[in-house]
Amino acid sequence: MSEPKSAAETRPWKDPAAVPFISIKNVTKKFGAFTAVNNISLDIYRNELFCLLGGSGCGKSTLLRMLSGFEEITSGTIEIDGQDMVGIAPYERATNMMFQSYALFPHMNVEKNIAYGLKRDGMGGAEIKDRVAEILKLVQLEEFARRKPGQLSGGQKQRVALARSLVKKPKVLLLDEPLGALDKKLREETQFELIKIQESLGVTFVVVTHDQEEAMTISTRIGVMNEGEIVQVGEPHEIYEYPNSRFVAGFIGSVNVFEGQVVDDEQDHVVVRSPDAGIDIFVSHGVSCAPNQKVAYAIRPEKISMSRDRPKDKKNVTSGMVEEVGYLGNLSIYQVMLESGKQIRVAKPNIVRLDEEAISWDEKVFLSWDGSAGVVLVS
Amino acid sequence: MNGAVEKTGSSPFVATLKRLLARTGLSGRTLVIAIPVLWLLIFFLAPFLVVAKISLSEAAIARPPYLPLWEWSEGMLIISLNFANYQYLLDDALYYLSYLSSLKISALSTLFALLIGYPVAYMIARAPDNTRNLLLMLVILPFWTSFLLRVYAWIGILKGNGVINNFLMSIGIIDSPIVMMQTDFAVYVGIVYTYLPFMILPLYANLVKLDESLLEAASDLGARPLTTFLTITLPLSMPGIVAGSMLVFIPAVGEFVIPALLGGPDTLMIGRVLWNEFFSNRDWPVASAVAIAMLVVLVVPVMILQRSQDEKEEAAS
Amino acid sequence: MKKLIVLGAAASVFAGAAMAQEQTLNIYNWSDYIAEDTIEKFEAETGIKVVYDVYDSNEVLEAKMLTGNSGYDVVVPTSDFLQRQIAAGAYQKLDKSQLPNLVNMDPDLMKGAETYDPGNEYSTIYMWGTTGIGYNINAVAERLGEDYEVNSWELVFDPEISGKLADCGISMLDAPSEMIPAAMNYLGLDPRSTDKDDLEAGAALLETVRDNVRYFHSSQYINDLANGDICVAVGWSGDVFQALYRAEEAENGVEIGYVIPDEGALQWFDMMAIPVDAPNPEAAHKFINFVMDAQITADITNYVWYANANKASMPLVDPDITSDPGIFPTEAAKARLWAAQVYDARTDRTVTRLWTRVKTGT
Repeated sequence: MSEPKSAAETRPWKDPAAVPFISIKNVTKKFGAFTAVNNISLDIYRNELFCLLGGSGCGKSTLLRMLSGFEEITSGTIEIDGQDMVGIAPYERATNMMFQSYALFPHMNVEKNIAYGLKRDGMGGAEIKDRVAEILKLVQLEEFARRKPGQLSGGQKQRVALARSLVKKPKVLLLDEPLGALDKKLREETQFELIKIQESLGVTFVVVTHDQEEAMTISTRIGVMNEGEIVQVGEPHEIYEYPNSRFVAGFIGSVNVFEGQVVDDEQDHVVVRSPDAGIDIFVSHGVSCAPNQKVAYAIRPEKISMSRDRPKDKKNVTSGMVEEVGYLGNLSIYQVMLESGKQIRVAKPNIVRLDEEAISWDEKVFLSWDGSAGVVLVS
Repeated sequence: MNGAVEKTGSSPFVATLKRLLARTGLSGRTLVIAIPVLWLLIFFLAPFLVVAKISLSEAAIARPPYLPLWEWSEGMLIISLNFANYQYLLDDALYYLSYLSSLKISALSTLFALLIGYPVAYMIARAPDNTRNLLLMLVILPFWTSFLLRVYAWIGILKGNGVINNFLMSIGIIDSPIVMMQTDFAVYVGIVYTYLPFMILPLYANLVKLDESLLEAASDLGARPLTTFLTITLPLSMPGIVAGSMLVFIPAVGEFVIPALLGGPDTLMIGRVLWNEFFSNRDWPVASAVAIAMLVVLVVPVMILQRSQDEKEEAAS
Repeated sequence: MKKLIVLGAAASVFAGAAMAQEQTLNIYNWSDYIAEDTIEKFEAETGIKVVYDVYDSNEVLEAKMLTGNSGYDVVVPTSDFLQRQIAAGAYQKLDKSQLPNLVNMDPDLMKGAETYDPGNEYSTIYMWGTTGIGYNINAVAERLGEDYEVNSWELVFDPEISGKLADCGISMLDAPSEMIPAAMNYLGLDPRSTDKDDLEAGAALLETVRDNVRYFHSSQYINDLANGDICVAVGWSGDVFQALYRAEEAENGVEIGYVIPDEGALQWFDMMAIPVDAPNPEAAHKFINFVMDAQITADITNYVWYANANKASMPLVDPDITSDPGIFPTEAAKARLWAAQVYDARTDRTVTRLWTRVKTGT
């Protein structure tokens, strides 16, 4: 048995010759007059841990339910492992789903919940026993085999739900907000557990979440959804560093956006004149746009340096007044009002404990960043 | 003074009551619990004891037509308990056969009511919100007319020249009327029809709470619709099934009016036997013994069932 | 109808302002057993407000009498039930000084009623009748031939003959103390016998014709006979005549006859009596006396088609009724009538048990 390689290591999406495992083509779903999913095309590769990320009502759950077979497709096609899924009932699909509510059967104990799917396949009793024991070990619930769901904590239920959906070794595991019901600390621990399990079993995961941090942490790739459409697909750092739209930039993490206009458009750089920022912003890479096009310039708070003196070696320097300081422990967030009246956020790591010299309220500060620190958004 | 009373939000009466309670060592909670307990004592236990008492006396031509259980005679309290009435129930196979027949008719009626009521309750529970209220309304609607009227309506439907026979004859399916009235069939129709809402409502209350994601989960794990129903929906609706079945079964066992109006003379039910004992034989003691025996036959299985249900629930929580 | 009565009562109260206070009289009688205007007339004459309530079985009345505190002032039990209720102490003796109309009563019939109430101390006859056979003339002729004369209990008790009528429907009263003696009488036994073997024999005969009987019921046959839903009913004379009357009114072509079979039939009396705890015995006496008025009794008989025991009323009764041998039997027929036997508790139980066996086979 060869060690399964995680998709993150091989990056099949970078390989034009790679065959997608799940192929979603022009899929639309309408509920009456309402279009929940609008003409989505998306390829997901074997062993990926793909996140569908978006706010409530963006269509991500509907897309997941079409993959599981609970919703019929209005138009378009879905193929899983080369098989067309149209007209195939949920109970005939090689997918399994982990429900947001966990949907554990309250009248069965943990063992029976997990064995349920195996029994439906007509598997023998001894084999079921082995498989259940194996998966219980994987999710560390051996001692709870005889308990009923009502006697378990939230985290334990979550693991039972995971075990139950994994035990059939589905080709694709669909997870609907798998960590949504857990508290923050447990959620962070479980995120890594999830990755570990996914990598060790080599099952393709499609996760629906509204939590961008969770998506960033666990995914091989993220598909950001808005109003029934996929607005950007990419690896977490691509989505973070190179959002392709104001929506994505704003949805993923915190961002400062300056409105402006392209005044210098060269092959290797552009200059955006931004009254918001009070300067012409130098961008050290080319942007495909029309001359004089109105654009937005997006820059993350942690990419901005802040100092009392004007720095000399930075391309972009502007100044403002500190209005608010928020101490978050590992870092502090400063809200600075620029001369234009625009408020921006700057993050500063707290390297020293109790920094007496730290910049504080009502100080005048200089803000600076490199040409490669931000991105120009044309849409 | 007055202002102070208002401030505490209680009237002088309440204050007095509280003081009184405190003095007697009773709390408000005891009072609240006392009301339903009193209710049960007055309207259930007391009549039950009266019937139990009569069942131990001896029939007589008198007013009321039985002898007193105790009397004072020359400074002696003479208590005479007559167990012969119960003995009598064992001697004549009639009682035993009537119980059995009543249990059979009620059990089958309950089964039919379940088979009809379950899909109806399921459909109502799964209907859209606005239709659901309408459907529930329709289930309850018959209660707005008299029970007797509804049973009489069935006579009009089932009798020789009634609605069904006239219809079937007019379209030529049958030449002579099918005999439906005065048969066990009519009794089943009457009981199932009358008690169906008592089956549907608890089932509905249970099924409407059923989490649909459980059904999706079962389907996702490879269960076909029938398997999903048998392994998930049915076991989870068991409390509703038990409640509905009890509500149909228990009153059906003692049913008198429906078999009297729709049934044939050979429809043997304990209600009829009880009527005979009470009215035809004027034997109130035996009639009471029949009633007490019926209660025992009914209550004991219900208590066992309740006990096992409670244990199950305890195990689950 | 009831509303009208109440209104009438109110009016009479206002009219009779001289009355010191409003009196109420509670009457409990068989259903469909009084003329339409009897109560109205009584209220107008006495100023007493009447609350009129009805029942349709002696058993129901008896349960109330034996429980006590029924609140009724006048009740009308059938003679054999009356006897037992008297024994239980349910009634008070009549004050005959308050009943001057007793002189109107037929002494022979009153003597007959003494079987149940020696000396007529507690009761007086309201109406009387027989338990015979009502039948659909055409339907029976169709099945037994035009020449067949209905004059015998064989119509229902001979399995062969009743078998021919089973398809058009035979009903019997759900009254064991009337049906079993009728069967015993047909077998040549004494219908008043309380011997267990005799009772068993009567029940056994009934069992042989059980399959030919569509139902046992004491009031449903009136409608069914009138509608043609059944063609033979063992029933009470007046009820069969009501069916006859209803069929005539409906003009549905159903012709009904009533016969007191040649073998004889049960004669019964419905008796007016006053419960021992009646709230208003004075008014009760007034009402009983009022009913014994020749005209009032004649009105009732003309309306309900039951025979009365009021000699003075005879000239006032419709000659169609007085001349009908089904209602007022001929002297020859009278001789073959028997009075109901009053059973002791043990015989009651035997009879009820036999009856259950007849009906259910259990």
